[in-house]
Amino acid sequence: MRTVIADKRWAEKYPEIGTGPVAAEPLISSEHFELEREKIFRRTWLNIGRVEEIPNPGDYIAKDLTMCRASVLIIRGRDGEVRGFHNVCSHRGNKLVWDEKGTCKGTLTCGFHAWAYNTKGELTWVPDEKNFFDLPKCDLGLTPIHTEVFEGFIFIHLAERPPESLREYLGGVADQLEGGGFGELALAKRYRVDEHANWKIALDAQNELYHLPFQHRRTIPEFCVLKDGQFTRLLDVRLFNHHSVYSSDPPEDRVGPATEKLAARFSVAETESRLPRIGSFDFYTIFPNMALLLFRGVSHDFYMSYNFWPQAVDRTDWDIKIYFRPAENAGQRVGQEYFTCLLRDLLQEDATAHEQIHIGLASRAKKELYFQDEEMQIRYFHTVLDRFYAEA
Amino acid sequence: MSAQKLPAEFADLEPFLDWALATERERTSKRLASSMEEIQAFYDYMSARVEAATAYLNAFPLGTLPPEAERLFHLSLSLMEVANAVEMFQNPAVINGFDVKRFAPVEDV
Repeated sequence: MRTVIADKRWAEKYPEIGTGPVAAEPLISSEHFELEREKIFRRTWLNIGRVEEIPNPGDYIAKDLTMCRASVLIIRGRDGEVRGFHNVCSHRGNKLVWDEKGTCKGTLTCGFHAWAYNTKGELTWVPDEKNFFDLPKCDLGLTPIHTEVFEGFIFIHLAERPPESLREYLGGVADQLEGGGFGELALAKRYRVDEHANWKIALDAQNELYHLPFQHRRTIPEFCVLKDGQFTRLLDVRLFNHHSVYSSDPPEDRVGPATEKLAARFSVAETESRLPRIGSFDFYTIFPNMALLLFRGVSHDFYMSYNFWPQAVDRTDWDIKIYFRPAENAGQRVGQEYFTCLLRDLLQEDATAHEQIHIGLASRAKKELYFQDEEMQIRYFHTVLDRFYAEA
Repeated sequence: MSAQKLPAEFADLEPFLDWALATERERTSKRLASSMEEIQAFYDYMSARVEAATAYLNAFPLGTLPPEAERLFHLSLSLMEVANAVEMFQNPAVINGFDVKRFAPVEDV
């Protein structure tokens, strides 16, 4: 572990990002929200879930993407292939699947008039078919959506022709995370947070550690700030095309609470994970609305994902998933519960703050935001946003 | 099925059986509905027993716990639930916390 206290390293590393104030208006304005709908969410790869959520042929997940005015169906075919479709029946446009996950035993059948589709999205059955007029049944399968998988993470792209493959889009992030063994860990907890805040306010608030000793003074007070009032610094900040990662190591002399120490003792896993960490904690922002968090745990490595799904300019569905190495015994499971409760409680502190920030910014009392060097990755995120807003 | 509520060597935990709750939602509700005195009493007692409890539970393959061991497991999970109330907030709820109805565990265990 290294403790670095040098100042203004990131502005020096990335001089093109600048150091001036950043406009606050995009965080609260309906105009920007509409720009994001057309120019960002319909033009980028979006993470919908992981392959472990649909392990068997016929398993599916469905998601209404309010922001994209679309409903998406991801289904594993009988042939094992993962495919994405618009979740819309070809007859009268009814939403085909209404639950968020399930298994297709025979066919996916529309609840309106029972038009049925197989797991490849082909239309297989139309009740009273003979009474239709020249029905081009072969052309009436579900409308496909570009769907690609990276390291088990399922992404979709709503454009007719995505300008680049998922691998190209992820670029340096993919280089860093490739072969990470994410599939060896399993979903331990998932929380859905219904926030009355703009999705970018929520994401920005997570995208730095400067707030830790203050907003989380009750939960993780020893992170980030050292005893003599001296601030620790990030280990690394890397900016990729669209995306970013920041990494940190905790102070060397951190003493956790009593139950954390207990939990760490009886939750030791025998196998090391292969998560490709840079520091003890790496936070990837995968543009536009995903974050991937890699941790060196007290007992073993784990990771989390965030998906910030905009519902309205001032409303966000924050989907939080925590992945651990599957517990081999009750003790490990109890130890994991400690860490998930800790994360949940401190993310509650954050969720409350996101709403307060939204109220503050919505007043338009402040037109500009000031970022320090350790908040470079937020500044970069806004640079990327501006780039997309400006596209034709 | 055994008539005893907890494994014999953990019978001393019987006064805390109302903390033996199967889901996170139930454990959080219990934490929020309890006074700090009740939480502290459970925390103090269970902290001293949880290592023995997990050592006992580890003898069973996960997912095959008999009912009385299952209750002991749930008591151990409840300790993890209340630890922050004692160690961080000195209050049942998260200070400046979020409406738990809008911060919901999915597929709750």
